[in-house]
Amino acid sequence: MKKSLKISFSTLAAFLFFVSSTAIAQQSDYQIQQDFRAEYRELANRIDNAVSSDDLSDIVNDIDELEANYSEYSDLLNNALYPDTFSDRIDDLRSRFGISEENINVIEQLNERVSSLEGELENYRNQLETIDAERQDLETRMEEASSNERRLSALVRQYRQNIEQRDAFTSQFLESLIERYQSIDPGAQSEISEASERLQDNPVELIKTIIAEYTNSADQASGLEASDYVGMRAQHGYFSDVWGRIGDRLSETFAPDNPVQTEQEVSDLLAAWQASIDNKLWNALTTAFNQNGIELPTFTSADAFNSALNTYVDNAIDLSMETNSEEDYERFQNFTNYWNDTVKGNWGELITNGNVLSHSQIAAIDTKLSNWGETATPTSNLMFILFLVSLAVIIGLVVLLVTRKG
Amino acid sequence: MAKPTITTLLLCVALLFGAAACGPSLVIQDVDYSQPIESVLAPDANNEVHDQRYAIKFNISSILENEGTSSIDEIRLIRNRAGYYFVTANGFNSVYVFEPGENELKLKTEIELSEDGLGQPAFNLRNGNIELLDRDSGDTYNLDQNGRR
Repeated sequence: MKKSLKISFSTLAAFLFFVSSTAIAQQSDYQIQQDFRAEYRELANRIDNAVSSDDLSDIVNDIDELEANYSEYSDLLNNALYPDTFSDRIDDLRSRFGISEENINVIEQLNERVSSLEGELENYRNQLETIDAERQDLETRMEEASSNERRLSALVRQYRQNIEQRDAFTSQFLESLIERYQSIDPGAQSEISEASERLQDNPVELIKTIIAEYTNSADQASGLEASDYVGMRAQHGYFSDVWGRIGDRLSETFAPDNPVQTEQEVSDLLAAWQASIDNKLWNALTTAFNQNGIELPTFTSADAFNSALNTYVDNAIDLSMETNSEEDYERFQNFTNYWNDTVKGNWGELITNGNVLSHSQIAAIDTKLSNWGETATPTSNLMFILFLVSLAVIIGLVVLLVTRKG
Repeated sequence: MAKPTITTLLLCVALLFGAAACGPSLVIQDVDYSQPIESVLAPDANNEVHDQRYAIKFNISSILENEGTSSIDEIRLIRNRAGYYFVTANGFNSVYVFEPGENELKLKTEIELSEDGLGQPAFNLRNGNIELLDRDSGDTYNLDQNGRR
């Protein structure tokens, strides 16, 4: 029974082999080359349209399979594909595959960069939101505690810390932007620009949000002093400087459709932020100088502030020259101390970074102060008295000498 | 006097024959005209087919007339080693073998293969000879310019 079954299987196998070999023999050469062309085109399309490593994963095996399946017809295909050859077509597929693989690697790296950028931006935004929420909370609590001076003072201290924290955080964000985009090459810029279309958020939008928040906090700020507003001007100056350095690149990279308009929008926001700070800065500076006994002429801009300082010092010098009193000297001492200890000592860097006063303007006032110091120092009468005494002694001696001779 | 004249005349005739013999006697033997893969050609509105690869263009109206039809989607054309063209198409009863001449294809043989018409014929070149395969019926025919082999 087993033997007959084995024979039946052998017969069946032989029959199938015969049928299959007949089928192979009955193939049309034309059909073979048409099939090869179709399979080649399909593979080439799959390679050209592949957008991920997954799309490419099976293709390399399919190329090998195509080569294996048709290698026995290579002579036929060489004739059919003339002037190409069968191996040319297989090489072409492998070459396309290599190029596509390389492109996909670049795309995937770019996708990773975009994801990482998105993650970073989200992180920045979340942290900024937290800092801003804290600031708003502090503002509310400061309003509530306005009657309790001690508590208010503690809250203002916290409020300042919050502002410093945000300044440090945004500076860190801007530094990372400078590092990344200041010397970006056109190729990378173009790649990121293409990828940025997929970004839900981008650095330019985040910068706009940060500036808007800064403007908002400058508008709502209360209980702050001149030094706080000078610090805000410094932060504004830093933002303006960074935007001046990388604004065009960021706009071209992240707003490729309308870079000029985007750049202008950010510039307008920066101008609005400065106006909000200035609304409070000049009053705060006037108050600070007044509280220290320095009555400056009215000023509402950086240039006017510089003029006011110069006018004050010039007038003081003129007065000293006229009166040369102790009072002048005290006024000089008072101004010099405040100028050196507070304005230059505490605010110096902030004042220059915030474009409130330039280094040369500060140096000019220093020169005038030294002049004022000379004229304000009270002159002593001791020498004049000694001169009169000496003269009297001489006259006395002369009279005595004449009297004795007579 | 007559002898030198005859000698001169014979010499001239010999020279003439010699010169004539030199020209057309150059014959290249054992030329392989075979086309490795059949061409599948769609006729235009005037029933003209044009094989750009093998550079031949002709009208198939007379073949269609012979087959009793006025139009066809495509014809299949192949050339054997000897240089004869073999033409057939779906539904044709015969394979037409043409001998190329000056501006003409002259029917050499009409090989009738099926009374009901060929289903899906396809030509293959096998060792310089032509194989006709009917993919519908699975029948295979070996052909040359004289008929079935």
